Amino acid sequence: MPGGRIVFDHVWKRFHRGPAHDSLRDLLPALVRRARPGGGAEETLGSGDFWAVRDLSFEVTPGQALGIIGGNGAGKSTTLKLLTRILQPTRGFALVEGRVGSLIEVSAGFHPDLTGRENVFLQGAIMGMPQRLIRERFDEIVDFSGVSESIDTPVKRYSSGMNARLGFSIAVHLEPEALIIDEVLSVGDASFQNRAFERIRSIVRSDIPVVIVSHQLDRIVELCTSTILLSHGAQVFAGPSAEAVGLYLRGEQSEDGALTGAHSDVPIRFTGLEALSPVPVLSGESLRLRIGTHALRSVPDDTYKLEVNVYDVATNRRVYQIHLAKLDLHPTGPGDRSDTIVVQMNLPAGLYRFEAMTWDVVAMRRAAAGPSLMVQVEDRVELIGTHQLNARRDA
Amino acid sequence: MSVSHAEPALPRDRPRPGVLREMFNAHELLGQLIKRDLRLRYRQAVMGFAWAILMPALTIGAGLVIRSVMAQGASGEDVPSIGGITIKSWAWAFFAGGMNFGTTSLLGNISLVTKIYFPREVLPAAAIATQGVDSLLSLALILLAGPWLGFHWSVQLLWMPLLILVLAVFTTGLAFLFACANLFFRDVKYILQVLLTFGVLLTPVFVEPAMAPRLTGRLLMLNPLGPILEGMRLTLVSGGSIGHTIYNAHGVPVWTPWHLVYSMIFAAAIFVIGISAFRRTASMFAEYY
Repeated sequence: MPGGRIVFDHVWKRFHRGPAHDSLRDLLPALVRRARPGGGAEETLGSGDFWAVRDLSFEVTPGQALGIIGGNGAGKSTTLKLLTRILQPTRGFALVEGRVGSLIEVSAGFHPDLTGRENVFLQGAIMGMPQRLIRERFDEIVDFSGVSESIDTPVKRYSSGMNARLGFSIAVHLEPEALIIDEVLSVGDASFQNRAFERIRSIVRSDIPVVIVSHQLDRIVELCTSTILLSHGAQVFAGPSAEAVGLYLRGEQSEDGALTGAHSDVPIRFTGLEALSPVPVLSGESLRLRIGTHALRSVPDDTYKLEVNVYDVATNRRVYQIHLAKLDLHPTGPGDRSDTIVVQMNLPAGLYRFEAMTWDVVAMRRAAAGPSLMVQVEDRVELIGTHQLNARRDA
Repeated sequence: MSVSHAEPALPRDRPRPGVLREMFNAHELLGQLIKRDLRLRYRQAVMGFAWAILMPALTIGAGLVIRSVMAQGASGEDVPSIGGITIKSWAWAFFAGGMNFGTTSLLGNISLVTKIYFPREVLPAAAIATQGVDSLLSLALILLAGPWLGFHWSVQLLWMPLLILVLAVFTTGLAFLFACANLFFRDVKYILQVLLTFGVLLTPVFVEPAMAPRLTGRLLMLNPLGPILEGMRLTLVSGGSIGHTIYNAHGVPVWTPWHLVYSMIFAAAIFVIGISAFRRTASMFAEYY
C-alpha cells in the first residue's frame, strides 16, 4: 500500500467573527471576486475578520505521526478541516496525497432511519472506501464494533455509544493512505477504548503519514513522533512530543495564575533538569535526576528552597512533590551548582512530568517554575502495595 | 524530527480533476446516496412505491378538470388530448421533483458537507437521479396505459430518449444552480416554490400552444420546457415527426425543428452555467452556509 504525504506550506486561514454576512450587498461582490478563476481570495483582514490559522508549515511523510496540541481556539479544528479539504486555505497551500482516512465525526454520514448494515455501506462510500473493500471487511467491521446483534436495526434505536463504535469501526477498516485523527481516542466504554487505541496504534505504526489532534496528552506523547503546539492559530513550538506537551502544560498553569510573584526577585535560576538514567523507566526502578542551578547572590538556607513536582500528564494533576528542604542551596555566594537526586518510581505505567521549582520560604509560596522533564513509566510486573515515589539525595 | 520547514516544491494551485472524472471516481458514493434516498422515500411511507404513481395521477386528474372546462364551447380539435396532458404532466413532475430535491440536497446534507470531504456534486446529482428512477417507473406505467391514452406507437418514438435527455440536462443544470444558491441565500427555496407554482401555468402542460392566442402560444414555446413537452406530445400522441415542421388543421405551423434546437442550446447553456457555478463555489460551502 503506497503511503501518502501531508504538506502544509505557509497556510493561513481567515474567519469572520459575528454574522456570516452582514448583507447581500457585502456578500455578492465577495462571491464574484472568489468565483473569478485565479482571482483568489482577498488576503487581508477586513473588519471583524481574524486569522484562525497563521503561517503554519509542516510536512508529514509515511511512517511519521504528527501531534497537534493547544488550548481551545488555538486553531486545531481549523487545521484539521484544512487537512481534510473541507476548508480551503486563504493563503498558502495544503496538500494531502492519497486516500485520506479521517477519524473525525466517524458517524456523520449515518442516517437514523437506515439499518446499521445499510449505514456501513453508506458511510464507507462517503469516506471514499470502495464497495468491494466494504463487502470484504464487513464482518470484521461489525465484529470490531460489537453491535452485530443490532446490525439490521435502524441506527436511531442505537445508543450513542453503539453509534460511535460502529462509525469508528468503519473508519479504522478503511485502509487509508493517510490518516487524520481527532479526539476519537475516547469512543465507547473502557474495553472498547482499549481495543480502539490498540487499533489506532497499529495504524500509526504502519507506513502512512498520520496527524493526531487530542487533549489526551499522554496518548499524544505515546503515538506521535513529533508535535506542534498551537496558540492563537500560530505555531509556538514544533519538536519532540514530550517537550511540546511539557511546554503546553506549563503554559496552561501560568495562565491559571499558579505562577505569581516577581520572578526577577528570585535569586536562583535553573540551568537544567535532566535524567541521568535511561528513560522510559520500569515501575519500581530508580531514576537519577540532575538539577542545575545558578545563584545570582548568596542564598541563605531559610529564604529559598528547591522542590520537584511530579504531574500525571493524562490528568495534569500534581501527584507527588519532592521537597529538597535539607538542600543547602547557595549559602556562600553567586555561582553554579548541580545536585543529583535518586527517585524510586513506584508508580503505575503512564507519562509523568517532573517540574523543578523554587519555593519562597518567607512568603510560603511558589517563587518560580524551572524546566520540566517528561518521564515515561512502563509496567513490568503487577505492582503490589501502594504507589509511592521515594526520593533521596544522591551521595 | 518530522517537522520540516523547508519550502516544499509543489505547484501552488492544485487543479481539481474534471467533473466527469471526479463523478466517475465517486460513482459508488452516488449509487449509495441514490439507494439511501430511494429507501428513505419509500421505507416509512405507508403507500410505498404507490406514491410514484399517485403524484402523476393527481396531476393528470387536475389536467382533466382543466380540459373539461376548456371543452365547454370549444370545437373537438381544440380540446387537449388526454395522452398529451399525461405525458406532459409526467415531464413536469420530473422537472418539479428534480428541482425540489436537487435544490434542498446540499442544505439537507449540510452536516456531511461540513464534516467530511467528498465531491459535493454527488448530492444534487443523487437527488436528481433518485427523482429519475421514480419518474422512469411512472413512465413505464404510463406507457403500459398507452392504448387507453391514445398513444401512437411508431418509429417517431425514437425522439423520446432525446427529449428526455434534454429535459434531464436542463433540470440538472438548473438544480445545481439553485442548490448552491440555496446554500448562500435561504430564500431561494421559497423563490423556487413560487416558480414551480406559477411555472406550471407558464409552461404548456395542460394546454397546447396552438390552441392559445398566437402571442401566448409563442411565449409558451419560448419557455425552454415548452418545446420539450410539446415535442413529447407530438411524438407520442400525434405520431408526427418533430424533425419536420408540423402544421395544424388551419395550416398554421405549430412546430418547427428549430424549437427543439432552441431548447437543446438553452439546456446545454444552463447545464454549463449551473455546474460551473456549483464548482466555483463548492470550496466555500462548509464555511458560508
